[in-house]
Amino acid sequence: MHMTGAAEQHKEEKRDITFRVFRFNPQVDIKPYFDDYTIPVERGITVLRALNYIKEHVDPTVSFRAFCQAGICGSCGMRVNGISKLACTTQVWEELDRCKEPGILKVEPLRNMPPIKDLIVDMDPLVDKMKHYMNWIDSSMPESEMGKKEFLVSEDEFLKYDKATDCILCASCVSECTILRAHKEYVSPAVLLKSYRMNVDSRDTIHDTRLAELVKDHGVWDCTHCYRCQETCVKSIPIMDAIHGIRENALEVRGTKDTSGAKHAEAFMDDIAKKGKLVEATLPFRTNGVLWTVKNLLPMAVKMIMKRRTPPPPPMVKPSKGIKAFREEFREMTEHVKDDQQSHNK
Amino acid sequence: MKPFDIVIVGGGGAGLYAAMEAMKTNPSLNIAVLSKVYPNRSHTSAAQGGANAALANKAKDDTVEMHIFDTIKGSDYLADQDAVDILCSEAPKIIRELDNIGTPWSRLDDNTIAQRPFGGAGRPRCCYCADKTGHTILQTLYEQCLKKGVFFFNEYFSLSLSVNNSRMRGLLAMNMKTGKIEAFPAKTVIFATGGYAKMYWNRSSNAAGNTGDGQAIAYRAGIPLKDMEFVQFHPTGLRKSGLLVTEGARGEGGYLVNKDGERFMARYAPEKMELGPRDLVSRSIETEILQDRGFDSPAGKYIHLDLTHLGAELIKSRLPQIREMSMNFEGVDPIEEPIPVRPTAHYSMGGIDTDNYGRTVMDGVYAAGECACVSVHGANRLGGNSLLDILVFGRIAGHTAAEEAGKFEPGVISPEEIKAKDEELRSFMQSSGHYERYGALREELGQTLALNVGIYREASKISRGMDELSLLKERFKKIRVFDSSDIFNTNLMQVLELQNMLDLAETVAAGALAREESRGSHTRNDFPTRDDEKWHKHTIATLDNGTVKLGQKPVTMGRYELQERTY
Amino acid sequence: MKRYAYYLSCINESMTKELDRSIDLWQKDLDMELIKLHESTCCGGSNLEYVSPKHFALVNARNIAHAEKLGLDLVVSCNTCLMTIRTAKKKLDESPDLKREVNELLKKEGLEYKGTSEVRHLLWVLIEDVGLDVIKSKVKVPLKNFTIAPFYGCHILRPSTVLGKDNPLDPSSLDQLIEALGGTTIPYEHKNRCCGFHTLLVAEEESLNVAAEALAEAIESKADFIVTPCPLCHTVLDGYQAKALKQAHINASIPVLHLSEMVGLALGYTKKQLGIQRHIVC
Repeated sequence: MHMTGAAEQHKEEKRDITFRVFRFNPQVDIKPYFDDYTIPVERGITVLRALNYIKEHVDPTVSFRAFCQAGICGSCGMRVNGISKLACTTQVWEELDRCKEPGILKVEPLRNMPPIKDLIVDMDPLVDKMKHYMNWIDSSMPESEMGKKEFLVSEDEFLKYDKATDCILCASCVSECTILRAHKEYVSPAVLLKSYRMNVDSRDTIHDTRLAELVKDHGVWDCTHCYRCQETCVKSIPIMDAIHGIRENALEVRGTKDTSGAKHAEAFMDDIAKKGKLVEATLPFRTNGVLWTVKNLLPMAVKMIMKRRTPPPPPMVKPSKGIKAFREEFREMTEHVKDDQQSHNK
Repeated sequence: MKPFDIVIVGGGGAGLYAAMEAMKTNPSLNIAVLSKVYPNRSHTSAAQGGANAALANKAKDDTVEMHIFDTIKGSDYLADQDAVDILCSEAPKIIRELDNIGTPWSRLDDNTIAQRPFGGAGRPRCCYCADKTGHTILQTLYEQCLKKGVFFFNEYFSLSLSVNNSRMRGLLAMNMKTGKIEAFPAKTVIFATGGYAKMYWNRSSNAAGNTGDGQAIAYRAGIPLKDMEFVQFHPTGLRKSGLLVTEGARGEGGYLVNKDGERFMARYAPEKMELGPRDLVSRSIETEILQDRGFDSPAGKYIHLDLTHLGAELIKSRLPQIREMSMNFEGVDPIEEPIPVRPTAHYSMGGIDTDNYGRTVMDGVYAAGECACVSVHGANRLGGNSLLDILVFGRIAGHTAAEEAGKFEPGVISPEEIKAKDEELRSFMQSSGHYERYGALREELGQTLALNVGIYREASKISRGMDELSLLKERFKKIRVFDSSDIFNTNLMQVLELQNMLDLAETVAAGALAREESRGSHTRNDFPTRDDEKWHKHTIATLDNGTVKLGQKPVTMGRYELQERTY
Repeated sequence: MKRYAYYLSCINESMTKELDRSIDLWQKDLDMELIKLHESTCCGGSNLEYVSPKHFALVNARNIAHAEKLGLDLVVSCNTCLMTIRTAKKKLDESPDLKREVNELLKKEGLEYKGTSEVRHLLWVLIEDVGLDVIKSKVKVPLKNFTIAPFYGCHILRPSTVLGKDNPLDPSSLDQLIEALGGTTIPYEHKNRCCGFHTLLVAEEESLNVAAEALAEAIESKADFIVTPCPLCHTVLDGYQAKALKQAHINASIPVLHLSEMVGLALGYTKKQLGIQRHIVC
């Protein structure tokens, strides 16, 4: 007989916890404010269930989105103690350690999207970007032929987009994005992820058009590699791999002709090949040209030179020790890469 | 607003497929999709398992015919055989079409679409994408609809059909962002709003919004519903949320244990134990709870799904998702403690009565998916057939509506009708005479359904349940919406959803009381066997003078004669 | 005396020379010896990874291999170099094929990447090896009159799959060090945020907005200075400070110190010795 179930009942721990909830109804409020709700919470309760309790028992006007309540639909993205996550998969008791004020959980709407009411923000700008960057497959199968036969897709190809298709568009990454916060036209991590997923799909035919859009201003080169998107992704998707993937592909397909981003990236490669060291002083004009550099950076450059932070031109950078052997290794690796590409093309 | 050729209510798999197919059928049509959530949030995303299709990629000897037989047998012979024929014959085409437009199906070694075995199927024919099949199908359809430029009205809550002399003129819906009621004059309307199993609330695995809005709107407009009493229960839902713990937990060797520490399945299925068929295990757990051998908690009675003896390593490597869910939603780590579970309502076989083309009895009104009842699932749905149903019949409904839209004149919806609706909704916000609270009524609805019209049913209990439902409906008239704001009034939306659930709950209970037999998911203690002579029929429920009027409809037979359903 | 191989970051060889100079002043005080790897090359600065994944693996395998040759851990004092080299290490350790291919080339120099040396940030070494108690005991001039805004920067925290020391969204290591040195930290919301460095030349307006926000919070909180363990963050927050604040219409300024300078101050070295006057804002 199996005995771990013993007759004892499941013990419930309970304590009073305060939820400090962001409130804003643009119809009546001039500016947002916070309401505190203190409710008894037992172990095992999620933030969403606590909000439901508040709505049903304390204040029915608190407004938030929720649907599946199981972490798959992505409706209840919000910031709990400052970090964007899904309310339905966040345990209240685990958040207690993260409270800035003991026992007070702060609940706020996602950032970087227009507020609608309380914890609800407008998702339309995200959908508009998905449309702008053609986040769909434009199939190589003519419509009249569809349903007749399946494409053959290798496991290798499937694995390229497998993780990316985990995305539930909860917009946590959008909320946490550094660059989107700095400029609302920025493509945003979720849309880069979806774009990548489409670009590596062999069934798609508009890879080049999509890529051409992605390398424009506010596109893939504007990402600042802060990794916040990836770190807060509720599905643990390596979003930066997708962003790097698009960049790698852009350099491969389009070279450095497009944007400063591509030139900037290539400069690293060039410098390392030559000296093993980055020649930082010349990066600005190699990235953006002499004119831009003079216009934008001259006053600062003067200050920098006066403080001896940067030498007067031409910059002297001492190559790394043992550079000769290194250069040879580097060149040989270039041959390897060429071979790889050739065998890949075959 | 400019009249639409087609207004589709619901943006899940059925609604989006309908939209895509309608645009393909006639690109010049003016098509709108209304959804109370962003379409990619729809409950289609929760379907993990897959969709059945006899592609014969995995089992080379699989055939459409075998799929048809499995489905009919699974339905306990209540499915219409011509409809099942369509479902299974269209299946391979629909799966390939989804592949053609970008669905990331998992693959077999020969790079064809992967298939796996599923309950009740004679061959491994369930096509899948890891454990996120529904999610990826929904994403793909949404992407394609964006590509085709479908007009989406997201976060619009549909309220009613506008009908004049049984002629449909269009739809009224509330724009959640503004609180305004907007008219959608239309030649045709397709309902694709999903199921109604959320009426069991905490005893349901469904999304909060699976409140049968489309069925309720159609029902109130005089359109008949079919087989509403058939609601499928899954044996192991989490106690607090009703969310599913998949069968894998028992497959790996988990025990079901009552409060006396007893592996009680020994009483019900001594050989198969925890791996007995789904409905039997559900009934067994329910019996333990009813006979007071369950655990007690503020969230209700439950039993234990014990995995602790499997060890940390196996649980971490083979059941990571179950562990995560259990920790996220119960705060219980199955390595340390047993998981509290009980059976949970998760699929509604019944729905809006349609023909094989998605038509309802009302001209210009169509329905598809879990919202409709064609019927392809009869008394019990097979795993892997629900996604298939929404895809195949969503597509068919979209095609039919596109072909037939030209037959109908667009209706005109008067400002008076909009105003009357607005006043109706505003009345919930008045303080005088309105004091009932949404949460309390909804809780009682869920409880009374689970208790009286749940897994085990009998005349006395169902009658008690119906009395309680009448009382709840009376109390609902005094319900108060405390939020009086226009913008995103979720308080109002919840109350309207409750109204829909209350209306439909009556049809479920009435159907359950009338059907004096046990068939598929419907188990009557007082009529424990299937009675083909009297009850090999569909139940039809129509709203008549404010009450449910029941009728019947014959089951379409075909190649397969009635047989006892044994596995 | 504990010995380490020390990675020479390009920026510390040019714009932020004071960073390494400060370490040179006090390393013996803390019983450390950092052996400079003059053979090391640029890590690729979070760019080479996608420009050419294989070159990226090669140069960083080589960087680490030089430390391994000495049998020492590799200490890095630039966040991005840290993240980049650790990313390469992770890839090399996870792919025997890549490791083999790279080692084939390194053989020419008599080098081999084995995967035996850890790649660690100076901040981590101070806390884990030297220890906060020892540091506390060596403090000569406690920073007790200073309120300090700790700006961690991204690449010492994220991606946590590569860094994995501190909480990637709510770090505390730098705060602990400040307190050990006798200083007071402010609750600084931007402490785990981005400085904008990596888009400075690509999307300048955005970058400066990012920097301005971080600077503004520190200024509003009345911090005496910002301290950062990353010379790239320092370059933006100090070098571009005037430009960023002007863009944000803020009329104020705040000094930004390197981690190594802050430690130096507490250990009794003067601003001049530490090279703080080389900063744009001082």
